[in-house]
Amino acid sequence: MAESTNFRDLQSANKGKTYFLLASMGLLTWLVAYAALTYFGAGTTSFIVPLAVGIALVGVWGSYYGSDKLVLTMTGAKVITREDAPELFNLIEEVVIASGLPMPQVAIVEDTAPNAFATGRDPEHALIAFTTRILEIMDRDELQGVIAHEMSHVANRDTLVSAVAATTAGAIAILSDFLTRMMWFGGGRDRRDGNSNPIMLVVSLAIMILAPIAAVLLKSAISRKRESLADATAVQFTRNPAGLRKALEVLAADSTVVHQKSNAVAHIWIESPLDGQSVSKLFSTHPPIEERIATLRAMESLGPSQ
Amino acid sequence: MEIILILGAIALLVLFVVAQYNRLVRLNITVDEAFAQIEVQLKRRADLIPNLVETVKGYAAHEQSTFDAVVSARAKSTSASSLGEVAAADGALTNALRGLLAVAEAYPDLKASTNFLSLQEELSTTENKVSFARQFYNDNVRSLNQAVATIPTSFFAGLAKVSARAFYEVENPADRNVPNVKF
Repeated sequence: MAESTNFRDLQSANKGKTYFLLASMGLLTWLVAYAALTYFGAGTTSFIVPLAVGIALVGVWGSYYGSDKLVLTMTGAKVITREDAPELFNLIEEVVIASGLPMPQVAIVEDTAPNAFATGRDPEHALIAFTTRILEIMDRDELQGVIAHEMSHVANRDTLVSAVAATTAGAIAILSDFLTRMMWFGGGRDRRDGNSNPIMLVVSLAIMILAPIAAVLLKSAISRKRESLADATAVQFTRNPAGLRKALEVLAADSTVVHQKSNAVAHIWIESPLDGQSVSKLFSTHPPIEERIATLRAMESLGPSQ
Repeated sequence: MEIILILGAIALLVLFVVAQYNRLVRLNITVDEAFAQIEVQLKRRADLIPNLVETVKGYAAHEQSTFDAVVSARAKSTSASSLGEVAAADGALTNALRGLLAVAEAYPDLKASTNFLSLQEELSTTENKVSFARQFYNDNVRSLNQAVATIPTSFFAGLAKVSARAFYEVENPADRNVPNVKF
């Protein structure tokens, strides 16, 4: 973590880390393909790698392209208009002006847990949603911070970033699944064609088995960096770290959890609904909320910035 | 072979020039749009004022000097045209409105009236929008001025007829640092 607490530095640090993590994902895919090549030879590999990537692409692309509609169904959110919540729309319009983004669609989720999320394939198709509870318990400044965080996800194209991460992780999982199955069921007949030594074969096997776990870890790490980036971008929009910090404190103090229908959309909420279920920090999609609060508090101590 | 290399090099050079030129023009247009956004929000605020003054008058008729200050500041802001004038009038009106709302604090009946409450919400959101629009404008001016002053874009500023623009500075520099005005 960079020592600087200026939002511009935080933004570039988090962006840099995302690129690094995405590059690591690419490297991991290449490693798995290479392992397949060592183990099964060129014939099998040139068929199976494109197939796995293809399946992952088709699966993820559909959900990325239709993310706004898909997430509406998965979370039970209802799109609302200005008449339903004029004050919320006022606040969103403020952040829209601050960010220079187009006005997103707005939705409400009937839920007793305070939370919010953003989705959509690009800023023109963005959708931000709030639970009924978050609108009840947060004051103007706090809600403005939450909106700025969600609009930051839109500005930073986080639906795209997570789609890329999901595709790669998916491809690696499928690939590794195929390959390990083939090993048990008499595959690898052409392995003698290559001059591979036994050590390489063992290493390849290890890569194929461990790669999916590594991919999930990388995917979670990317998600965490995007959350930190969204916090920093939110401060760029509102120049008011205190608003978002207070909002996160409210979220941290509240122990209710969104009754969501699917874990598949857990990563999109501002506060992770899977808190407490996580095996470890490494697998969690959000940085610890205390850490996010501390970062924002450090930004506040810098005073008003321009 | 050499021909292809030379043509390729020329093509790259042209693409580079076009990219720099377009970047400058784009930045310049964004600044224009950002300024238009400030004016839109200032207009909205000006439109709210007659209604607000009437409402406050109904409860606090003798605070005439405060009303006069707001009305004259509003008149100045609607007639301002250049960036400097608009910014100065904007700052003056912001201060006058603060005075008006401070007066309102002293009248509990006024503060409780639904009309005033809805006006207050409108006014605070508009005030926030004005300051976010200023902030967005100044951020874009900063990017433009940086592009005009730094290599390589600086070489093409003359060609694109783009030059450094003035920041939007309200009278009181402290105002700029407080995007969230609470009434």
